[in-house]
Amino acid sequence: MTVTLTNPLRVGLRQERVVSPQCLVIFGASGDLTHRKLVPALFELFRQRRLPTEFAVLGCARRPWSDEDFRGHMAEALGDLVHEHRGAWDQFAAGLFYEPVDLQQPEHLVRLAQRLEVIDRQRATRSNRTFYLSVSPKFYGSGCSALAAAGLLSDPERSRVVIEKPFGRDYGSAQELNRIVQASAKESQVFRIDHYLGKETVQNILVLRFANTIFEPIWNRNYIASVEITAAETVGVEERAGYYESSGALRDMVQNHLTQMLALTTMEAPGRFDPEAIRNEKAKVLQSARLADELEPWNCCVRGQYSPGGSAERPLAGYRQEPGVNPNSTTETYVAMKLFIDNWRWQGVPFYLRTGKRLPKRMSEVVLTFREAPVHLFDAAGGSPTANQLILRIQPDEGAGFRFEVKSPGSGMRSRPVDMHFSYDESFGEPSDEGYVRLLADAMLGDPTLFTRGDEVEAAWRMYTPLLELIEDSPWQLPVHPYEARTWGPAASDSMLGRDGLMWRRP
Amino acid sequence: MSPQLTLQAPVALPPPELTDYLDKLWSHDLESSSGASTFTLLVWQPAWVEQHLVRTGRLDGPVTGVVRSELLEAAREAVPACDLPLSISPLSPKLAWALGQQIGNHPIEDLRGQHIDSAISAFQPRRLITLAPTLNHGQPLETLVAAYCPLPGEGTAAACGDVVVLRGDFGALQQGLQLLQPLVPADLPCWVWWNGSLDEAPELLEALAEPGRRLVIDTAMGTPRRCLDLLESRVASGGPVNDLNWLRQRAWRESLAMVFDPPSRRDALNHVVQLDIDVEGTHPVQGLLLAAWMADRLGWHWVESHAAPGDEIRAEFERTDGVTVQFHLTPVPVGVPSSHPGSVVGLRLICKPPGRQALCVILCSESGGCMRLEAGGMARMELAEEVVPMGHATDEWEMARLLGGGHDSTNPLLATAAPLAAKLLPNA
Ligand SMILES: NC(=O)c1ccc[n+]([C@@H]2O[C@H](COP(=O)([O-])OP(=O)(O)OC[C@H]3O[C@@H](n4cnc5c(N)ncnc54)[C@H](OP(=O)(O)O)[C@@H]3O)[C@@H](O)[C@H]2O)c1
Repeated sequence: MTVTLTNPLRVGLRQERVVSPQCLVIFGASGDLTHRKLVPALFELFRQRRLPTEFAVLGCARRPWSDEDFRGHMAEALGDLVHEHRGAWDQFAAGLFYEPVDLQQPEHLVRLAQRLEVIDRQRATRSNRTFYLSVSPKFYGSGCSALAAAGLLSDPERSRVVIEKPFGRDYGSAQELNRIVQASAKESQVFRIDHYLGKETVQNILVLRFANTIFEPIWNRNYIASVEITAAETVGVEERAGYYESSGALRDMVQNHLTQMLALTTMEAPGRFDPEAIRNEKAKVLQSARLADELEPWNCCVRGQYSPGGSAERPLAGYRQEPGVNPNSTTETYVAMKLFIDNWRWQGVPFYLRTGKRLPKRMSEVVLTFREAPVHLFDAAGGSPTANQLILRIQPDEGAGFRFEVKSPGSGMRSRPVDMHFSYDESFGEPSDEGYVRLLADAMLGDPTLFTRGDEVEAAWRMYTPLLELIEDSPWQLPVHPYEARTWGPAASDSMLGRDGLMWRRP
Repeated sequence: MSPQLTLQAPVALPPPELTDYLDKLWSHDLESSSGASTFTLLVWQPAWVEQHLVRTGRLDGPVTGVVRSELLEAAREAVPACDLPLSISPLSPKLAWALGQQIGNHPIEDLRGQHIDSAISAFQPRRLITLAPTLNHGQPLETLVAAYCPLPGEGTAAACGDVVVLRGDFGALQQGLQLLQPLVPADLPCWVWWNGSLDEAPELLEALAEPGRRLVIDTAMGTPRRCLDLLESRVASGGPVNDLNWLRQRAWRESLAMVFDPPSRRDALNHVVQLDIDVEGTHPVQGLLLAAWMADRLGWHWVESHAAPGDEIRAEFERTDGVTVQFHLTPVPVGVPSSHPGSVVGLRLICKPPGRQALCVILCSESGGCMRLEAGGMARMELAEEVVPMGHATDEWEMARLLGGGHDSTNPLLATAAPLAAKLLPNA
């Protein structure tokens, strides 16, 4: 990719809201997410002048670090960024603190509460707090309860809790977790992260749909024949085998990220741009979504697992050969499925979702395929005219594309498809913020729009329950088809669409 | 949304009792509810135009200080009636002055400080203090107090605030200052909104705008030299300052940036040779701030400026490569001016990259049209034209945005543009 000069007139034009004075408490401060995403995002917010002077970050984990240790580890992790902005870092780091806390020890939380009071006085953070649970999911429930028991969530205006993914591992456990979390805090205090919602282009689905008049009239079963949602990764399981073995593609990607993309693509227009109005519509549409064949889910779902592939020079291991993976593992690294949404707008329109690891290309997109013209007046270069497609590219090369037929040059009236592209990069020439920057700021500002509400999470899990049960109870009915690493998944997935006379879009 | 009235009718108190009363109010009556831990908003609210329009019977009262459409309409009608040029904006201090010469003695019901625009009340100010100077000389100081709690369901929190109004003539308000300072809670941010001309009551302005407070001014209101000097000195002193005139210009900066968003256009920015800006009426500050912002962003060095006939301002910059950039600021007469003086109505930028086709960028306001800037020898240039949407935001809305934004320092773009704009304004 060529590097474009920044537009000097663009610099500093955006004036975003400053987070209100507060202390952000990160549990899991010594973990991977904190130094890879959270602290870099906070430093970015600091450099964008979006953190007030009355601000502090209190890192918590079991290991006995000091404030200085914490600052040192973070500086090391941020590396070049710190060297480039030394002055800013020093200022920022002065607001970083650390307190050894084991979430399972109630007396540690009492000590934490005392430390927070000291910080309130030191940094004038006015007992306003955001607690970020960046710890193992098994602590989400007990962590919330412990915070509540220590009285740290009692003020619904001044305390919030942010919960990382995954939220539950099926419908039942998500309900149970919601029950515990909602007993500890009001729903308005709970921010469930889905980092896809932090992506500018995911948010753009809403803007594209609801800020333009041309799309909404055709955004329904009368004009749309089918919808494909893809999130493809080129990477394998990397170091996350431990987690991935117990999760698989369905839990890791579909239930959250793909389902959020589905919700934004299909929801009704909210009455106003208000967090609850938007989340109501998302929850509603997810409640009417279902697997295409709930009784025999194997007809509408394909699972796959990557096997060795790559080239002679760069061979790629298969999933079962990856370190930490059971050599007989039946965890899926690829899943494709067909859904329907039973409402007026979408009745009968098939939605195809797919995601996988070790696919040929890293990309996420939503493709809306329109119905064919009622009569074919012209010869098409490719036999029959290609249906119009609207492609919303989430990553990489963020943007949108539209495919339509034009007259092919020369005599006669043959048509051929062309693509019209809009690219964020070319039009704005400005990289968008990393998702966590937006999400952290919103959580600290108490704006829940881009967070998943309790009922949404449950609706999403419920939708996939027949599949999860099938995988649990009779996995042989949903076999894991091997596919060669760096190919577009198992042939069975193509056949699933083939039965409907369709093909996956090959980007 | 319509402005909201305080829930409780304010109580008039003898000024010395004010502090005690407020203390009592918070320790007894409002004990059960927490005071909003937000900010104090101190407003200088002369509303001269509104007061005079009511006094002369051109507008029905009460006077609230909140700009409403009837007020703008009555003010527009008053402009020709006062023999002022049509380009004079309805909120211009010039109109206030001219109206002051007119006779009339209608009674004025004064509710300043008690009507709170809902955009502002949504942020639940902890204390809203209004300084309301009256037309009558010799009017003694009056103080009014009311508690303000959101209705159930109006906001999520039941945090309360209070409203304090100090009313009287200049002298009385000056005297009320000592009363006022202890009313500003030390532990909360304090915003000072000077919602009037910058020419008036400079000592009062200085006293209110203590260095730590977040000052909000409007550089469209007052003589250009005073406006720019004040802005510049505030920036130089490091005290936070916001300028509504700068904020109203947001759409122009955004539109111009948009033209150069496609990377293919970026290079043209290095080859600007001419910049023309048209403003409404004769107030140049908004136009100068826009030019200063561009010059700063593009690294141009200011060389000289001078006044030209017809209230034009001409200036010269030097680009980083030594090439000269000509700048003209031209006041243009308009039939229906926007509510504040000196709004930018057109901008033209000519870029001449060596060996390539020249690019001419024209931005014009929705209300105006681009004819004047389109004239003259651009046939061989690539033309990029954009219409800049008119801002419909009221001052109260801009103010609310500032309060919601919460920045406790001066916007860096404004901070660098202000001193440059001050240089661009030729000395009289
Ligand atoms: N990493 C990612 O990219 C990523 C992406 C999406 C979601 N997530 C989610 O984010 C969360 C954190 O992920 P991670 O990768 O950062 O995990 P990690 O590297 O394993 O870190 C876990 C953290 O929890 C701390 N911890 C463990 N037991 C604790 C206890 N009883 N009380 C307090 N702290 C305790 C650990 O520090 P001590 O050993 O010092 O206590 C460590 O700081 C997980 O829920 C994960 O699902 C992570």
